[in-house]
Amino acid sequence: MSTFKRIFKRKSALIAASFIILIFVCAIFAPLIAPASPTEQFKDGLTIQGAPIAPGDQYLLGTDLLGRDLLSRLIYGARTSLIIGILANGIAVLLGTSIGLIAGYLRGRVGSLIMRITDLMMAFPALLLAITLAAIFSPSLLIVALVIAMVNWVQIARVVYTQTIAIAEREFVLAARGLGATNRKILTRHIFPHLLPTVLVYATLGISTTVLLEATLSFLGIGVRPPTPSWGNIIFENQTYFITAPWLVFIPGVAIILLALAFNLLGDVLRDELDPTQRGNS
Amino acid sequence: MNEILKLTNIRKEFHSSSSTKPIVAVDNISLSLSKGKTLGIVGESGSGKSTLARVMLRLIEPTSGSIEFNGVDLISQKSADLRKLRSQMQMIFQDPMSSLDPRMSVRDLIREPLDIHKVSDSKTRNQMVESYADKVGIAKAALDKFPHEFSGGQRQRISIARAVINGPALIIADEPVSALDLSIQAQILNLLKDLKQELSLSFVFISHDLSVIKYFADEVAVMYLGNIVESAPTKVLFDSPAHPYTQALISAIPQIELGNKVERIILSGDIPNPANPPSGCHFHPRCPIAIDNCASLAPSLSSINSSHQVSCNLVQVRA
Amino acid sequence: MVRYVLTRILQAILILLGVSFITFLLLYILPADPAVQIAGRSATPETVASIRAELGLDQPLFVQYLDYMANLLQGDLGRSYLQKTEVGSLIMSRIGPSLSLMFFAILIELLIGLSAGIIAAINRGKIWDKLFMVLSFIAVSAPQFIVSILMLYVFAVKLGWFPIGGYGDPIDYVLPALTLGLLGSGWYSRVMRSSMLEVMRQDYIRTARAKGAPLTRIVRVHAVKNAVLPIVAMIGLDIGIFMGGIVVVESVFGWPGIGQLAWQAIQRVDIPIIMGVTLVSAVAIVLGNLIADLIAPFVDPRIKLK
Repeated sequence: MSTFKRIFKRKSALIAASFIILIFVCAIFAPLIAPASPTEQFKDGLTIQGAPIAPGDQYLLGTDLLGRDLLSRLIYGARTSLIIGILANGIAVLLGTSIGLIAGYLRGRVGSLIMRITDLMMAFPALLLAITLAAIFSPSLLIVALVIAMVNWVQIARVVYTQTIAIAEREFVLAARGLGATNRKILTRHIFPHLLPTVLVYATLGISTTVLLEATLSFLGIGVRPPTPSWGNIIFENQTYFITAPWLVFIPGVAIILLALAFNLLGDVLRDELDPTQRGNS
Repeated sequence: MNEILKLTNIRKEFHSSSSTKPIVAVDNISLSLSKGKTLGIVGESGSGKSTLARVMLRLIEPTSGSIEFNGVDLISQKSADLRKLRSQMQMIFQDPMSSLDPRMSVRDLIREPLDIHKVSDSKTRNQMVESYADKVGIAKAALDKFPHEFSGGQRQRISIARAVINGPALIIADEPVSALDLSIQAQILNLLKDLKQELSLSFVFISHDLSVIKYFADEVAVMYLGNIVESAPTKVLFDSPAHPYTQALISAIPQIELGNKVERIILSGDIPNPANPPSGCHFHPRCPIAIDNCASLAPSLSSINSSHQVSCNLVQVRA
Repeated sequence: MVRYVLTRILQAILILLGVSFITFLLLYILPADPAVQIAGRSATPETVASIRAELGLDQPLFVQYLDYMANLLQGDLGRSYLQKTEVGSLIMSRIGPSLSLMFFAILIELLIGLSAGIIAAINRGKIWDKLFMVLSFIAVSAPQFIVSILMLYVFAVKLGWFPIGGYGDPIDYVLPALTLGLLGSGWYSRVMRSSMLEVMRQDYIRTARAKGAPLTRIVRVHAVKNAVLPIVAMIGLDIGIFMGGIVVVESVFGWPGIGQLAWQAIQRVDIPIIMGVTLVSAVAIVLGNLIADLIAPFVDPRIKLK
């Protein structure tokens, strides 16, 4: 696809993509890359007073409150954050696209009803709703991912809904119906391929949102629970050492910011290239 | 059963959200087409002819009336049966760019009817695609290209191949050449004529261009604001048009033949808004021979002779 | 016009009803039995049963919903499991700080965002424009809670310019409002920029410039006046965005608003309080959207009424 080349000609996209790939590599090859186990509490990981050790020769990024190597926890944390981010986003995209597609194609009462429900969902602030759901259901990686997905599918559904209506009104859809195509064939062969660019854009942008949401939930203590590391819960665990051992908050914090930026940048570039009508719409 | 298509009292209303009164696109139309013949439907934009075309194939649901295709009542058909029937009645659209999916290759587009109706096997389908592409004048090498890489005329050829590949009996052509340059128009019309002959097709040919209709159609029906105001065999219509609207349309055809100087009848005003049609005879505000009665009395189609029908208050009086 | 207003208000009411129903449903499907939670671990089955009856938990779903709605309309949001106080009064006592923070945050967002947008538009394509666009992109993408923590560390801990937490003096407002303001300004600056660009393309602006309008300033005044119009409606939407981050922001800055209330409730899994704050936020969002929709047609005559 020539669009691929165009996308990666943009410097910003290249930088963003490189960073994302770096994080992916960390996540996938964590056992090979990490200098230590993320859960091992080293005897010399804490100072005599029991405080975390600053970044230095022995521990590249220092240790945390339990004497564990921060770098290793960070690398394994990438794995957790990405898995949940992608899983949650995948479910949200799947759910949102299907619902938006059906609502947009069927229109009428069913379509309106579905859109009213999404209006309703949008009245709740995402974070609070996620918190509520997470508090109600016992935590596990899957539940956290599901909760995030539940909160995120709405935006995609609305966008897909509007687009589907626009596409379904085009004459080639009428022509396909005239040929005798079934609804299913029209949806898969004609409508969905035209939706694909938009879905890709929102899938990319969505990962940024889900990763952030996971980090926030973990930061609040209701996302991924320690000892499994996630960038969010590293900050959560170490907040009391915020002043004396700021690197424990800074480093995962900066990592989260960069990852969010990278996905947003990539998604923005994708949107510019694939869907010129939405340019400049953040 | 010699009638391939028969419409009876077809009416189509559109409801808009902004007013309570529906827009009547097709008021009351009955017509029939015999096998192997071509019916030309003439009308200006706003006459309802495109709506009628779509209703004919039940691509849009008529508000009331019946459609019979080869004796089969289309309205009562269930979706699955209707879909199967579709392979026998096809439509060629006016704008070949918008009626072809820009993301599909030409090969896939032409093959789509065969895929939908599961004709034979993949290999045979590809052979058929190539054979029909050749028939309409699309090079085999071009089959893997996309619609936007072709000219308007070529795209229309692709649409035509798509329409005829599955062996339909009836083709509805909705302004098939109106979007094309004049020189290309002739090519496409000839292509259609050849195919009509070769594949024994029955045609409904819709256009606003009378000279095209004259060239292509056996019978003509003239539409105005949702109604047929005159219908006759082509020669009869052009030699002795009875309805003042038809007369005005014919007089407007550029005359190249020397000698026969026809007085150009110019109609006053524009075609009215279908949302608010004039009372009585819809044509009366623009009609050069309208009398007071025309504003209150709506005429209906009546026969002047065996094959010539007119809908006009004054013509009835004459006959 | 009247029709539009009435329709929108009706829609808002329906959404509020839906919101209350969802909130109720969430409470209903709690795996944890509230009666057990209130009674405590050592309570006898009889005590638990009587508490259930008292709370009306043995009634069918529909009856419970009606009870819930009746209570809601009287301002009764239930009781905290652990504090034995009414959620409603807890929220009322804490909402002040949240509202005042929101007010100042939006103020700063507007100040920074609008200025940046105007400057970027005027200097289109040049350094300032590029700079502001990059900054606004970062502002829009960066997660609120992390930036808050970082700001807190740099300006309060390291530099000591501001107190680390606390509430009561004006200076306590500065860091939180500034942080939120900077982050939120990204959104406004982008919209203001494109709005300005669109307005400046207009003929009446070009004519004024062609006539050699005394100063670019006059043109700017005209342009700004018109470019600001879409922003007005955005403020209503901003309320929703603020509500979205309120829990984390208040917990990071130690701000005693309803966000921190929710944060404390999270730690103790005190569901009624969490639900109460969620409900109040949702109501605030619906009202914010409603106000935005109602103001917009008045302020911007270009907006067509549905």
